[in-house]
Amino acid sequence: MNTTWKSKLTSSLFVLPYLILFTVFLLIPIVYGAWMSLHNWDLLNPVHEFVGLKNYAKIFDPKSYVHNLFFEGLKNTLKFVVFSVPLLVVVGLGLALLINSLPGRLKGLFRTVYFIPYSVSVSVVAIIWLWLLDTNSGLINNYLTGLNLPAIPWLTDMPWAWVSIVIATLWWTIGFNMVIFINALNDVSEELYEAGSLDGANRWQRLIYITLPSIKPTMLFVLITSTIASFNIYGQPYLMTRGGPGTETKVLLMNIVDEAFKQRQLGNAAAMSLLMALLMIIISVAQLRISNRKE
Amino acid sequence: MQSKASKTVVIIVAILIGLIFIVPIIWMLATSFKTDQEAFTAGLKWLPEVFTLENYQYALGGNADTPVLQWMGNSLFVGIVGTLIVLVVDTLAAYGLARLDVPFKKFFIAMFIGSLTIPWVITFLPLYMEFNTFGLLDTYAVLILPYSANAFGVFLLYQYFRGFPKELEEAAFLDGANKWQVFTKVVLPSARPVIWTLAIFTFMGIYNDFLWPLVTTNSPGMRTITTGIAVMQQGSFVSSPAKLMALTSIATIPAVLLFVIGQRSFIKGVTQSGIK
Repeated sequence: MNTTWKSKLTSSLFVLPYLILFTVFLLIPIVYGAWMSLHNWDLLNPVHEFVGLKNYAKIFDPKSYVHNLFFEGLKNTLKFVVFSVPLLVVVGLGLALLINSLPGRLKGLFRTVYFIPYSVSVSVVAIIWLWLLDTNSGLINNYLTGLNLPAIPWLTDMPWAWVSIVIATLWWTIGFNMVIFINALNDVSEELYEAGSLDGANRWQRLIYITLPSIKPTMLFVLITSTIASFNIYGQPYLMTRGGPGTETKVLLMNIVDEAFKQRQLGNAAAMSLLMALLMIIISVAQLRISNRKE
Repeated sequence: MQSKASKTVVIIVAILIGLIFIVPIIWMLATSFKTDQEAFTAGLKWLPEVFTLENYQYALGGNADTPVLQWMGNSLFVGIVGTLIVLVVDTLAAYGLARLDVPFKKFFIAMFIGSLTIPWVITFLPLYMEFNTFGLLDTYAVLILPYSANAFGVFLLYQYFRGFPKELEEAAFLDGANKWQVFTKVVLPSARPVIWTLAIFTFMGIYNDFLWPLVTTNSPGMRTITTGIAVMQQGSFVSSPAKLMALTSIATIPAVLLFVIGQRSFIKGVTQSGIK
């Protein structure tokens, strides 16, 4: 009996280090965050008054500034999700199909080239695109005016600010989705394609009836991870448009950070974070449900 | 199956798209050798009129507000240490859960895997307050420790260890090895490819993170390269595009080189991680 007790103890020691880190940096913060959201929590004031669900009530009270902060930010974040996610999935798949139809030796080369921007950080991405898209001295407007086309206010006018942010995001992250799709495409069984060819299916029909159904789990994975990543957008508008013009590209995470560190109202900000997280979970579950129902 | 003509078309399309990915980086490099004044002037000059290394001298010159080398050092340091911590605790926990007689095993597995569905934003502000309470903001601890709670690695390695043939371990146990010896001598060496995958993912995640290091550090010497550049872009370099481009070039070149060298393992890693 003594030996099993001892054995269980030594086995537990394997899990213990991670369990401690998990508890301190994940479990406790989750509870602590919920606790913060129930208080009037000023960053500089050591006294935190318990206010119950008042911070949440403020978010849903149209007269409160927190209401505007949350829903304006959410609207802008959702806009980015709607603009970016379909492109992140479709362009990612398109590039993967393109790479796969290249002759063998070129595949690796182009995969590397398309994947390179993924290695740089968001501040580098923002700065590169800021100066490519600059209205007066940017490369792109210089080409446009060279072709006698009007210069476009890429970063200072709507809808161009969103176009710019989406372009920079695609350029930066599309390589990752592409690699995942390439892996999935390579796993589609050759026999299916051969059978398709025997039945006289052309290239388009093979894509619709063989490729797409075969890689459906991957599409779902890319869809959900891209949606989550787009929900978390912060760096691109923070650095490229600073939320402008006006507050048109001021996304929810920017408003949460401002409320927490500029207004120092951590209680409000924690409530906003919790609602944002809840919404992200609901949307992910909905995406899973909808795609499973179709089967 | 494809005709020669259609093959050529595909290659041309691939090259044109490739330019979209490469040209911005080349433009960055070209601008970094121009003067600020020339960078501002409209025109399509790819090569600088006056070739200058001034921007690099300025960026690397050890100014108190732009300690670029220190930033790169910080990024590498937190990336490497953070990754090592993740590798050690994750391999141990995953092996324990996959193979050993850990009490409440099912509960732990469910809790760790379930935590993967929790959006990061939920812990953002409370984590900040936690570090604030212990006076650890603006230190290496705040830049390293939070990443260690992520269950992705435990999940990835747990899957791997469960598929690992038991016979090898049993043979070692029969030879009188204890759990720790079996783990370090038999199991870990076999898991090298998965561990490498986890290392690359973790390192890139920490190295490229933006918002967390941005809000938790404020002294110039504690910045990572990503946040340091962002602060310069919003601050003293706001109207110095050429200096900014030198800064980003310095940050980019090692990252791109490392990436091109390591991308094979990275791509293999994507496959192995079961993201299919």
